[in-house]
Amino acid sequence: MSHPLLQVSDLTIHGDGVTIAPFSLSLASGQRLTLLGETGSGKSLIAQAIMGTLPQGLTPAGELGIDGTSYAAADVAARRTLWGRRLALLPQEPWHALDPTMRAAAQITESHRHVAGLPRAEAHQATRRDLAELGLEDAGGKLPGELSGGMAQRVAFAAASAGGAPIVIADEPTKGLDAPRRDAVVELLARTPQAGGALLTITHDIDVARRLGGEVVILRHGQVVERGPAERILEAPQTEYGRRLLDAEPSRWPAPPALASAPDATPVVAARGLAKSRGGRQLFSGLDVSVLPGEIVGVVGPSGCGKSTLGDMLLGLASHDAGEIQHAPGHRLGLQKLYQDPPAAFSSHWRLSRLLDDLVQRHRLERAAIAPLMERLGLDERLLARRPGEISGGELQRFAILRVLLLEPRLLFADEPTSRLDPITQQQTLSLLVELARERHCGVMLVSHDPALIARLCDRQLALGEATNVNGPAASARPLETASA
Amino acid sequence: MTSLTLSRSSPSRWSSGLRGLLLQRLFQAGLVAWMVGTLTFVLTRTLPGDMAYRIAAGRYGHDMVDSAAAESVRAELALDQPALGAYFGWLWDLLQLDLGRSLVSGEPVIHELWHQLGHSLGLAVMAVLLSLLLGPPLGLLAGRKPAGALDRVSEVAASVLRALPPFAVGLLLILLFSVALGWLPAAGHGRFAHSVLPSLTLALALAAVSSRVARNAMAEVSQSAYYAFSHTKGLGSRLSFLRHGMRNAALPVVAYLGVQFVYLIEGVVVVETLFAWPGIGHALVHAIVARDVPMIQGTALVMGLMFVALNTAVDLICHWLDPRRRET
Amino acid sequence: MMQATLIAPLRRLAWPALSTRQRVGALLLALLLAFAWLVPLWHDADPARQQLVRILELPTLAAPLGTDHLGRDMLARTAAALRLSLGMALLSVVTAAVPGILFGVIAGWRGGWLDRILGSVADACLALPGLLLVLLLVAIAPGNFWALYVGISLVLWIEYFRVVRARTRVLVASPQLEASRLLGFGPLYLFRRHLWPELAPQVLTLAAFGAASAILAMAALGFVSVGLRPPTAELGLMMIELLPYYHEAPWAMAQPILALFVLVFSLNLLAGKDPR
Repeated sequence: MSHPLLQVSDLTIHGDGVTIAPFSLSLASGQRLTLLGETGSGKSLIAQAIMGTLPQGLTPAGELGIDGTSYAAADVAARRTLWGRRLALLPQEPWHALDPTMRAAAQITESHRHVAGLPRAEAHQATRRDLAELGLEDAGGKLPGELSGGMAQRVAFAAASAGGAPIVIADEPTKGLDAPRRDAVVELLARTPQAGGALLTITHDIDVARRLGGEVVILRHGQVVERGPAERILEAPQTEYGRRLLDAEPSRWPAPPALASAPDATPVVAARGLAKSRGGRQLFSGLDVSVLPGEIVGVVGPSGCGKSTLGDMLLGLASHDAGEIQHAPGHRLGLQKLYQDPPAAFSSHWRLSRLLDDLVQRHRLERAAIAPLMERLGLDERLLARRPGEISGGELQRFAILRVLLLEPRLLFADEPTSRLDPITQQQTLSLLVELARERHCGVMLVSHDPALIARLCDRQLALGEATNVNGPAASARPLETASA
Repeated sequence: MTSLTLSRSSPSRWSSGLRGLLLQRLFQAGLVAWMVGTLTFVLTRTLPGDMAYRIAAGRYGHDMVDSAAAESVRAELALDQPALGAYFGWLWDLLQLDLGRSLVSGEPVIHELWHQLGHSLGLAVMAVLLSLLLGPPLGLLAGRKPAGALDRVSEVAASVLRALPPFAVGLLLILLFSVALGWLPAAGHGRFAHSVLPSLTLALALAAVSSRVARNAMAEVSQSAYYAFSHTKGLGSRLSFLRHGMRNAALPVVAYLGVQFVYLIEGVVVVETLFAWPGIGHALVHAIVARDVPMIQGTALVMGLMFVALNTAVDLICHWLDPRRRET
Repeated sequence: MMQATLIAPLRRLAWPALSTRQRVGALLLALLLAFAWLVPLWHDADPARQQLVRILELPTLAAPLGTDHLGRDMLARTAAALRLSLGMALLSVVTAAVPGILFGVIAGWRGGWLDRILGSVADACLALPGLLLVLLLVAIAPGNFWALYVGISLVLWIEYFRVVRARTRVLVASPQLEASRLLGFGPLYLFRRHLWPELAPQVLTLAAFGAASAILAMAALGFVSVGLRPPTAELGLMMIELLPYYHEAPWAMAQPILALFVLVFSLNLLAGKDPR
């Protein structure tokens, strides 16, 4: 292999308040490179600039060498002919990237037929081969809405790579996937360099970067902070930011303060023999749960195993089929919840100050308690003048914690409260949550897809749905999008 | 949207399957018959006392009216019976498709309807086809470049057309093409030239809406992740548009046709009257003016059923276009 | 303006933010309203008074918009017709919106059998195309304003019901409502802070479209001579009456068409959105 498959020299991107500093890379056959960074680091823009799919208003400059031919980065039109044939893009959210009205097999076949140029019969054959190879034999006749996230990702992979492009760019390929599925996608990605291609991966997930190996580039605010081989960068970063990013990995988090309450204290909630089925499927049965004051109980399990449902049952929001739930005596506002998607838990039309005032008035709360708690949570007074959509997800989640803690809850069900946040923000948010829960003797049930996180933070863990098939359609079937009037 | 209702009957409530869909439409047809029957029955009961005489006079001539003739009209409308019994008798006749005779011409209503339905359907089909030829292609083109020149111009044109009721559009077309230019006949029926202006009147109003629906649908599709993916996986603009753009953009357009049929049925009434087109809508208006109850019932029934039939056709097309609907 | 009456008792509720297009529509509508109600103040001509010696006159000082085929003052007639149309629109929109929103929220919130019953009633009202239902009601009581009004309102309420129900159903199951409920807030608060801000823009759109529909329906019936009776000044009726004189008096025939066009256009602008 003499020439690199993909060469990027001094790529810059300007416009719309975005500046990406000159960036270069070189990938030969069999090599892999991972761009690692938080939201807003510009990592996806670099991928889009290489593909030629930058949003309007952003202009790239610099030189690209693809398969020995050189292109100006600004000449987007010339690269379009390479799409699918030399350059393949694995899309961010595979569910949305597949045509919702076309069956999975047809979406792969059309790549074989129209991109690779196979005759009809051979294209069908190639599709069947792809499906079998990816363990998707039964998925070919399904519509994207009926596929699980992992299946959709594999179908998108097959459709994108059917044209035989040696250079694969994967933009956040593991977004929204849980741990086992994430590992499966990483394996899938590793096929490209194994087969002699070049792989460029964009991710915010340090674990994905570590598993992929090769070269790692850490980006922040459009600047390269650090680059080098994965083993070195991800073990012993040289820069302060690199260290912070790595320290945000759950396995490196400092241990939370120890649980003070005695093990024989009255649990804030105790349930015995809980059973629940949904859609004709038994989610769990004979389940015993109890949470002590100040205790952090982790809840893990594959998507669709009933983690959120369990929370709703303990909070009194959903009914249970069998068993009994006992709450510690106290006021009825003692049961609270944190949501996965912070903006979804607020009405976007009102200023935060208004929402806070509503709460204070409704329950005649002490206003004096607000300011110190806000300071603890690192919330600036000025944020209150904004609306929920106008502050960051991390800030909003901390505001949600503030709102909940003002009511002195006994049990807090935190349903993946940080899965949409960047790693550093996630660590800050969760350690604050644990600290405050301990202080205030509030029992927390923390749901997460990340086993390392649970292992680090929780006093005990509750695993749900081991028996359920990870790839089973019921485990993660997404409801069809229905048009509303 | 200028029609009296904005919605379409959603097929989601009972079943997503084809069977459920057709059953639901059948139920709707029954409901239409019952509502038309009931309202026209109420109508017979509210006719003024000397109505039988007046109708008899209209039918047999003023000199020939005697109490026997009036009596026979009274019996025809069952005005001599108690209300409840008469009501069930009325619905029973309807169920047997016995629509009676026109009080004005004395002909069986069914006969008259048969001719008129042909004319109305011809007009409606021509209007829909013409509107599909004008609206959606324009919308698809405009939607591929939102906020472009074509988008802006077609938006203004559509806004103006939507603010003009069909009779005003018809009037303006008559003034332009018949009076000023003398190219087409203003009213009448028989030659192809006669049908151009009425169907164009309806088609313009339909196209004004469907072009915007198509435009929005196309704009949405072209911003979707799957449309972008079909490009980046190497299909190119033409194939992406043909394989992924068209069908997905067509879905809302076809579904919206259901709403547009409300407008079409309403438009048929005024446009036929304006152009003296011998269809159902024209006959309905005449019957209302003449208080010819059996004709009112017959025409309203046929128009209602035509509406249901057209909506069923839309359902079937959606079902065929969108595989998601075929899954349970 | 129909919004104002609609939510006057709920003044503390959020006001939907208007786009530029909607502002233009509102301004245009305000001008029409001012025209319709201010004209009688300084121009005291009876819209029904016939002066057969002054038929189809060009605009003069005495009759600033000319006279019609019976010598009636066109300015007075156009203003009267606008008042009639706007009054009908306002009345039917309010009549339709209040039960529509109320039932919609109840059905979407409660679900279950109540939802099914209300949904079936709405479906039944939709089985017939709207104008056909209105025509049949009008046939029962010819030339009666109230028959027209009942028919139009009967058709219009369904749209509010459906939209509000669908949106409410989604919102009731949403995290934002659940969160507020857990925080101890009652149904009124949930409506005020969560439901209404989401519903208001849609209700405004529906109200504007509904008003336009009501105005067009009345004009269409007038135009085919089954609506209100002469000598009422009504836009559709004026058009069909003046149609035979388009050659001698094009300005006279243009007036009702123009008035109807501007009225519906302003309402469509106020509605803000294209049809879906």
